Amino acid sequence: MTSTPGTPASPPGPPLGPPGPPPSVPGRPSSAPDVDTTRDEDVTGWRRMHPVTPALKGWKVLVAVLAIGWFQAGENIEQAIDLLQGRGFLLIIGGFLLVGLIGFGYSAVAWRVTRFAVTDEAVHLRTGILFRQQRQARLDRLQAVDVVQPLLARLVGLAELKLEVAGGSGSAVSLAFLREAEAEALRAELLALSAGLQRPGVVAVQTPVDGTVPDVAGAPAVPVPFEVAPEREVYELPMGRLVSATLRSGTVPVLLLMIAGAITLAVVSRDISAAFVLVAPLFAGVTFVWSRINQGANFRAAISPDGIRLRHGLTEARAQTVPPGRVQAIRLRQGPLWRGPDWWRVEINVAGYGQGDQQQRDTVLHPVATRGEAMTALWLVLPDLGVQDPTALVVAALTGTDEQDGFTVAPRRSRWVDPVGWRRHGVRVTERALVTRSGRIWRSVDVVPHERTQSLGLEQGPIQRRLGLASFVLHSTPGPVAPRVNHLDAGVAAALLDEQAERARTARATATPEQWMRAVGAPTPTTNAEPTNAPPAAGAGA
Amino acid sequence: MTSDAVPGTREPFDPTDVTWTPVSSRLIGARLTVTGIVLGPVLVLLVLLAVLVGAAWLWVFPAAVVLLVGWILWLVPRQVRALAYAERADDLLVRRGIMFRSLVVVPYGRMQYVDVNAGPIARKFQIASVQLHTASSATSASIEGLPPHEAARLRDRMASRGEARLAGL
Repeated sequence: MTSTPGTPASPPGPPLGPPGPPPSVPGRPSSAPDVDTTRDEDVTGWRRMHPVTPALKGWKVLVAVLAIGWFQAGENIEQAIDLLQGRGFLLIIGGFLLVGLIGFGYSAVAWRVTRFAVTDEAVHLRTGILFRQQRQARLDRLQAVDVVQPLLARLVGLAELKLEVAGGSGSAVSLAFLREAEAEALRAELLALSAGLQRPGVVAVQTPVDGTVPDVAGAPAVPVPFEVAPEREVYELPMGRLVSATLRSGTVPVLLLMIAGAITLAVVSRDISAAFVLVAPLFAGVTFVWSRINQGANFRAAISPDGIRLRHGLTEARAQTVPPGRVQAIRLRQGPLWRGPDWWRVEINVAGYGQGDQQQRDTVLHPVATRGEAMTALWLVLPDLGVQDPTALVVAALTGTDEQDGFTVAPRRSRWVDPVGWRRHGVRVTERALVTRSGRIWRSVDVVPHERTQSLGLEQGPIQRRLGLASFVLHSTPGPVAPRVNHLDAGVAAALLDEQAERARTARATATPEQWMRAVGAPTPTTNAEPTNAPPAAGAGA
Repeated sequence: MTSDAVPGTREPFDPTDVTWTPVSSRLIGARLTVTGIVLGPVLVLLVLLAVLVGAAWLWVFPAAVVLLVGWILWLVPRQVRALAYAERADDLLVRRGIMFRSLVVVPYGRMQYVDVNAGPIARKFQIASVQLHTASSATSASIEGLPPHEAARLRDRMASRGEARLAGL
């Protein structure tokens, strides 16, 4: 309770402030001993989840069993009905009760062994009954923080806190469930620590300027809570627009066609069962429409010093926070039916978000944006596009064709490989970002800041080779955005590859550091000791 | 021809200021061995079938396999010769393919980790493969057919250069 983590083990290096981020060494496993100077026993302040958690989680087990039972029964309904008559009914009820009890019991034990603690550098989580797991998530590697409230948790005022660290699938740290206010306070704390700010309680103690390590044992055991960063709402999605946009998405016409097909089939063949072939795809279509509406409902975006805040969801409420510089790439898309009202779907790549169905839900920056809102969304991610007239650039990117506004496009001979889109797909390089556009009918615009470029590629097939064309590919983190420009002139593509590699390198050198508040000279009294965005010294890993 | 008439074509997969290092030609042997292991039993089975049944048309299948093997024998050496890499001051280039060609540029500062793999056949032929991983799953930069000491050297070099140019995501 008294010792502050890290203090006993940390070398007498920089006197104040958290130790600089230890270099994560590429080519070596990340579990290298230098990951954290804090040994696990030194971590204090272990906390438990809210005691109602087992009830909320045990409930899920029951639902799962019910669902399995339902599907089993669905296969032979007659037998199921037979079972329900007479004493079988009681048996089933008893079975469910038993399963519920087991589920609840398991969750209760799991709850007892689950603990978490927050230090200045990392979040520690201990879970597991039989197979113990201890997980540390480094705060300076934090990619996003979500507060998730499933329907049931929302009713009882609880919330789950999810931390994304870009470590591949299953690397997220989930703290479920906490009291809503507690979750929000924790989020503010994590974001502030991750930004490189100091605990307000500790700062108050650090008055000496002679460089001695202050006796932090005097710091209050319950630290002064971080203030929640102020936020300003940027846009909001009206429900009407969401519904009509979803109905105009590509799925719904297909759905209507299928219904019409089913009816005609049934009428022509005079057999209603023929129509049942289409039940499964119909179900999938309806599920898609519902999930789009459910996830996009009440969509609001706000900007605050600790990043972009996104709130959405009808049954399950989500509040995502993506800190500055964590958006790797952004895409604006428009299908043919959205062209009339000029709506755009805005999606982003965030490291850690891009897995499976999560991608559909978490990577949306705006489900249905008007052109103005789309520009705002772009501005949220990239305040400075690096051109004189950003509006003209965006308009040219969204709807333009040919070499309008400085876009480099595919040469005329590429119409042999892409007769429809060859005038549309092109690329424009600004001082800050690479803008690519493609698609005549399904329009799409990708923007990647230079410093977020992972790697680059060039591809060429046999026909392209005869025509002297090549495709330029930019690799971003996993997610919906995968920028590429097809069929550029081979020489142009090669030059672009070279220049882009150079630009990405220089942009990286001046990029915002991982702890973003250190760049803007935030009120941390200790940061002036070191230059803000110097990468960790190479010698440190020697 | 069209390719002559094309203006401004410079060889995009062969930048002028880059010296390419080809991979070991032992990779040809390794790949052909794998082909032999996979297709050999198939060929034997098909020949046996044709002999036992005695129908003349059944010889079509072993003939097809033989054709396939011939094609692979022709293709693999060319493929291996096309595979090359180059270390520049700040990034690594990997080039591959003849018909479908690709070139990948991986900045050292973007490297998250490096894998060195050597299966039993590769070890027999004394080669190893090095694969570079960035935060992007789309980065497909693997170099097969390196001599083990070269693989180790490349791995260490990548690690040290990556460390010096380390950047966040």
